[in-house]
Amino acid sequence: MDLSFELIAQLAWTGLASSSSYCLFAMAFALVLKVNRVWNFGQAGLMVVSYFGMYTAFRLLDLPPLAGAVFGAAITIAVAVALERWGFGTLRRRNSSVLTFFIFTIALAHGLVYTAELFFGTDPKTLFPSIISPVRLVGPIVVSDWDLTALATAAAMTTALWLFMRKTGEGKAMIAVSDDPDLAEMYGIDKNRAYAVAMMLSAVLLSAGMYLIGTKAAMFPATPMNQFLIFAVIATIMGGIGNVFAAGVAGVVLALMQSFSVLVIASTWQILLLYILIFVVIVIFPQGVVFKFRRGPSRQAGTLAPAVEETGEKQA
Amino acid sequence: MTEFFLTMAILAGLNVLLASGFNMILGYGGLVSVAQPVFYAIGAYTSALLSMKLGVPLPLAMLAGAALAAIASFGVSLPSLRVSGDYLVIASMGFQLGIVHVINNIELTGAASGLSGILSAVEGPGRSWIYAAIVWTICAVVILGIRWLVTGPYGRAITAMRNDEEAFASLGRDAMRIKVTLFAVGSGIAGLAGALYGHYFLFLTPDQFGIFSSATLLTMVVVGGAATVRGPVLGAILLTVLPEAIRFLQLPVSIMAPLQGVLFSALVILFIFLKPEGLFGGTAVGGLEAWQGRGTARSKAGGRV
Amino acid sequence: MLSARGLTKKFGGVVVAQDLDLDLELGRVVALIGPNGAGKTTLFNMLTGFVRPDGGTISFDGRRIENMPAHQRARVGIARTWQRPRLFESLTLLDNVMVSERDYLGESIGNLIFRHGEVERAEDDARDRALGFLDRVGLAARADSLSTRLSYGQQKLVGLARALMNDGRCILLDEPMAGVEGRTIETMKAVVRAEAEAGKAICIVEHNIGFIRDICDSAVFMFNGRIVASGSIDDLLADKRLGALYFGSHA
Repeated sequence: MDLSFELIAQLAWTGLASSSSYCLFAMAFALVLKVNRVWNFGQAGLMVVSYFGMYTAFRLLDLPPLAGAVFGAAITIAVAVALERWGFGTLRRRNSSVLTFFIFTIALAHGLVYTAELFFGTDPKTLFPSIISPVRLVGPIVVSDWDLTALATAAAMTTALWLFMRKTGEGKAMIAVSDDPDLAEMYGIDKNRAYAVAMMLSAVLLSAGMYLIGTKAAMFPATPMNQFLIFAVIATIMGGIGNVFAAGVAGVVLALMQSFSVLVIASTWQILLLYILIFVVIVIFPQGVVFKFRRGPSRQAGTLAPAVEETGEKQA
Repeated sequence: MTEFFLTMAILAGLNVLLASGFNMILGYGGLVSVAQPVFYAIGAYTSALLSMKLGVPLPLAMLAGAALAAIASFGVSLPSLRVSGDYLVIASMGFQLGIVHVINNIELTGAASGLSGILSAVEGPGRSWIYAAIVWTICAVVILGIRWLVTGPYGRAITAMRNDEEAFASLGRDAMRIKVTLFAVGSGIAGLAGALYGHYFLFLTPDQFGIFSSATLLTMVVVGGAATVRGPVLGAILLTVLPEAIRFLQLPVSIMAPLQGVLFSALVILFIFLKPEGLFGGTAVGGLEAWQGRGTARSKAGGRV
Repeated sequence: MLSARGLTKKFGGVVVAQDLDLDLELGRVVALIGPNGAGKTTLFNMLTGFVRPDGGTISFDGRRIENMPAHQRARVGIARTWQRPRLFESLTLLDNVMVSERDYLGESIGNLIFRHGEVERAEDDARDRALGFLDRVGLAARADSLSTRLSYGQQKLVGLARALMNDGRCILLDEPMAGVEGRTIETMKAVVRAEAEAGKAICIVEHNIGFIRDICDSAVFMFNGRIVASGSIDDLLADKRLGALYFGSHA
């Protein structure tokens, strides 16, 4: 293969554009892990809800793009908030183990994927009947309208999330809860509200990402479960667990890596590399990861063990 | 119809093996791995391939499948000595998905389209009867073996380890060795179940061994009650049989397959919320909440942090 | 017998042990005293392998052991108790003590299968010895009850019996008298004294001055992670400066 500058530039551009949705999914996952302290594998289910919500709006109800996207996002928000309130909330009150959350979120994701297959069939679908995006040449690089929309959406979402978390009362409350829910509550912050807000934001990020996915290519109902979710998990781990924006950056890096590894490794082996990466990162550097995790927000009894120097009888 | 019930009995028996083996790791070892299906896969593919490609006699191939699964368990049990809780769940998931991904992509295992042409262990008209009998005999042996192991001196040590790992180490007991052993035994049983599966159903696909099957097996273990001998047995039977009930509705496959998935997921979620303590719950161990608190906040006794 | 040199440990930025030396001899009982938070338990944890020191050496019986994992240190004969009893709550008293057998053959599945007879005999021996230790702490009659049904003081006695079952030549007791009341006080004293007379090397972390005077041969005073004084019990107790450190930090 000819490693010309043009090829590399094109790969970089395409990788960057297609990283937009991965970045959004990673931030959505990391946000819920940070604030709600849940490894929300149910995110794949929420993605499916969002996608087929929008599909219904566009293809069955003939809504215009903006209205349809809002419709899809609204349904996703409703499901996400319900999931937090009756799902995670209940398990949290019971002080459930990490395994309970695992089983619940996986079963939920699968249930929603199967539900989508039941109503919409198992074949791949796009959000609009036609997904042809006009292209132009910028220097040697092919740039499509979709690329520009995708990058603009991801940039806008990231900025909005950053502003929301830093500047608004709700955002600050969310960060306080992620630091220490009980302490935040003593200062008059409603932690359940903060959990719900995090789920809403996560739902919005997911919907934006799914819109981008569905306007570029056809998607199987099972794709979020088989592919997007694991990307988000890996990006979250690479981002240091609990750092939302670092997870977003890691999502971009992963997409670029995948884009460039076309040059070196057959595409089927790229994902294997990622699994190896998860395994190695967690097993070889648990101290590093854990250190960030502890210093960062998410530290919950029973979710973290290795870092805690729990020797003997500190309580005495 | 009889054939259907026999197939169900065989599947239930295999799930009993899987869940009982998983219980060694989760329940008795207190290690929150999710990777049990990958050992099932390793056993299934190893035995199928050894018999197909190298002509290894079936019983030997099955034992080799179980042995390889037991050896592969070091891939999770050794990391489990370094990390625990959330991290072990995620690391074991990475291990599982990585290996399934390999199976999904290499020629040898038939890649994504699956491995067919596996040799049948039993032929003839009474095939399913005989196989059901074999599977359940093995089940009985395994269950009795586990019961023998978890009572008596070994069981005493396991219980002490679960109660307080540091105090356990301070008495000179080696928690790591016990954990690694339990992992190998539980995974070996899964490998055997996988081998048995392959030589009856004669077809394997990689997506049988994914994360959903982890959640399913976890549910089987905890629904009945982890760290009990009978819990996983009953959990496995229950969760194998219940979702099959809708087969009697005689729906077309395009509806039936997803509907079964939806019902099964709903069943699992119902169990989580309505019966979190397990069917024989109320005890200190067992049930979904067996790992909270001390169970997951394991200290790294033994000093090899 | 057991000899530590220059043990140092920091948790985060906090120095919890600074250059600690300690020598335990067979037949002698050393008290480790000092206010709470002085680092006494941390020292025990370093000696028994539950806290890895940042620096320093530990030798036992002429063997360097600072890199040995905790369970192996118990296997060479360093037994310990904990401040809380830390009994195994799902096990009976008898099982609690039996699981502390130094060479526990039943720990290996290989032994269970291939050396079945030996395991059985070892179990019988262990049962007899465990009952003997339970008898010494006055709880043989309750060998089959669960530890959760005992009073706190009785649980600590079982913890002691469990440590004795190890039959190590060195015993580290972490506040054996804390929370012990009534009749169990005398039992605790008697058993510890008997072990001292049997020639074990013993180190005791304890706040109960009467108990220390009664049983210990010498004492080491710790404050803020350092050893600030050592010598005879009477000298240390008479030292006004140490008294101020001890009681000052309680205020």
